[in-house]
Amino acid sequence: MANVALAALESALRVKKLDRTLTTALPPLEQAEDACAPTGVGSVDACLRNGVPRGQLSELTGPRSAGCTTLLLQMLAAATQRGELVALVDTFDRLDVASMEAAGADLGRVLWIRGQAGGPLDWAIDRAFKALNLVLQAGGFGVVAIDLADVPARMLRGIPFTTWLRVQRAVEGRDTACVLVAPEPVARSAGGLTLTLTGHTSWTGSAMRPRVDGAEMRLRVVSPRRRVDGEVAVRSYEASAYVEAGL
Amino acid sequence: MNGALYAAAGSDPAQLVEVAREFSPRIDVCGPREITLDLSGLSRLFGDARAIAGELRRTAADRGLQVRVAIAGSRTAARLLARHRAGITIVDDGDDAQGLAPLPLELLLAVRRAGSLDPADHDDADAGICAAFRRWGLRTLGEVAALPAADVAARLGQAGVQWQRLARGEDARPLVPSVPEERFEQALDLEWPIDGLEPLSFVLGRLMEPLSAHLERRDRGAAVLHVRLHLVSKAVHERSLELPAPMRDPRTLRTLVLLDLESHPPPAAIDRVVVAVDPTPARVLQYSLLTRPLPSPEQVSTLVARLNALMGEGRCGSPAVVDSWRPGAFSMAPFAPVEAPSGGGVGRVGGVGGVGRTLVESGESQPRVVVALRRFRFAVPARVLVEDGRPVRVTTERSGITGGCIDKAAGPWRTSGQWWAEPFGLGVAGKAGGAGRSEPDSPWDRDEWDVTVSDGATYRLFRERDANAWFIDGVLD
Repeated sequence: MANVALAALESALRVKKLDRTLTTALPPLEQAEDACAPTGVGSVDACLRNGVPRGQLSELTGPRSAGCTTLLLQMLAAATQRGELVALVDTFDRLDVASMEAAGADLGRVLWIRGQAGGPLDWAIDRAFKALNLVLQAGGFGVVAIDLADVPARMLRGIPFTTWLRVQRAVEGRDTACVLVAPEPVARSAGGLTLTLTGHTSWTGSAMRPRVDGAEMRLRVVSPRRRVDGEVAVRSYEASAYVEAGL
Repeated sequence: MNGALYAAAGSDPAQLVEVAREFSPRIDVCGPREITLDLSGLSRLFGDARAIAGELRRTAADRGLQVRVAIAGSRTAARLLARHRAGITIVDDGDDAQGLAPLPLELLLAVRRAGSLDPADHDDADAGICAAFRRWGLRTLGEVAALPAADVAARLGQAGVQWQRLARGEDARPLVPSVPEERFEQALDLEWPIDGLEPLSFVLGRLMEPLSAHLERRDRGAAVLHVRLHLVSKAVHERSLELPAPMRDPRTLRTLVLLDLESHPPPAAIDRVVVAVDPTPARVLQYSLLTRPLPSPEQVSTLVARLNALMGEGRCGSPAVVDSWRPGAFSMAPFAPVEAPSGGGVGRVGGVGGVGRTLVESGESQPRVVVALRRFRFAVPARVLVEDGRPVRVTTERSGITGGCIDKAAGPWRTSGQWWAEPFGLGVAGKAGGAGRSEPDSPWDRDEWDVTVSDGATYRLFRERDANAWFIDGVLD
């Protein structure tokens, strides 16, 4: 009897759309055809169900040489190949243009905003966020990325959480996938993805004459609302090794 | 009814145009001394054709011009008559061919040359046709007009037919009125000098609105925006903005000027503001339903201007590779995206089912993933311990780059360049900075190593061979 009454109550609440409260987990977001920006890496896209979500803030995190920059450049390159515009807020001016070109990016579709390599860190970060806000407000970009990979973790944690909320609000409802590159997860957007990368450089050749062959990347995907959690391995190649392998 | 004015040699062309414009807005400037004008409807104002011609001549004389005036049914007839006869010549409507009949053939050649946009193209052909007519024994326009058109076409082609039509006084094209050159400029004298950009923004807004309306009326856009600020110090602060695309939105133009003035503020208070634009035909946009629309040039310009004001001049744009072996060489290009051509070889991965397909339809079996380098724009000085010619330990004083024992090292790869140029500086730091970016013409000579240190990070090191100094160039990431 009690179950019947409970079911009736839930049904009535559902009709009135009052069945969701702060303590109830929201249902997974539905993915439209064009709701994601593919990364351009087949295995990653398969795991992410077609890429990073648009209108959300996603994160690429990992230590040095884990492959964050490689994946970011692939993502930007894939967007430019689709005819989209992309923007990179390069907080400390770390972009290697040759690497971006090697990733296959149409450089004419890339808006590169270069921060200052020297100077106080907080000043550089502040300007990077202002630039990010301007780009997001302007709209029209498929992917907008901010590179905070070289910000010390202590300083990254010191960024007020409201900053990430503001970024999330700025990108919400837009056709833009916002991507943050950082050494550790900080933004933790509910609608976005967190890709935690671990990896190492792979070597080839003899012990006396070794050379860099590429990198083995492992991605762990965390997404609160998109049910795409999992792990994926990606093999990348050093530019010259790529040519030698005939790929 | 059409008229023609033919001024004496040495006359001022501008004065002649002014005289013609006093009588009709529909004028066609055929040359520095020759103007045709549509006189339809003037008879109600001045009387018959002779009265109009007399008034034209009198007005020209008042301006110090000696002109011949001819009025005929067609502009061609009027031009020919004005060139041939002094004073006033009147031919009634419908009698153009008769009026032109006694005129010499060479007159037509002169008119053809004067009316051609590119005389060099037509000189030879027209001279040939004129010579052919003369060989046939023809001396006047009436004789040419009387020839059978089919026979002329058979012997001289379409050019001969055109000659014959002109000889009959028929116009080759309708009148295309010459539009007076307009100045797109607005100025405002201020009652009190203003100092600061905020009050100036209101002034600019007041100037930009009518300027944009003027541009819109003429279907023009601004290609270059000139701002002249007359200062209380009697100096003039001038700025010119070259716009990436024709635009006329007053808010965008005002924003661009303000952002530019933020970077280049006037040194004193402003007395007078003048805004002028170089007009250009407005943009014609064709949007596509199938591709993602790009931001408009106004949006892009405003965004780039804001970013330049925030980050500094030249710190935002599109990256561009340069033709150089110098490690890390690049250049910045203006960010001016263009619409992607439709039907390109790039497809969108659609839905989950599309996952795993390559984005570039180039026949590759898997997407290309190439390891990227994070490059330190200014190479980080490092202390490197070398044993048996190979680096075994690297440390730096830069926080965040701890370094450590080197597990694996690959190298050296020696690169050098610009050694033929004058050596730039002698300091190690200067050469390290020149190992890339700030001095593109400085020489470099270095050995590069890729090393993986104990914490797992892989760095690219290089040793400046001249100074035997080590630097970290970047991180493979």
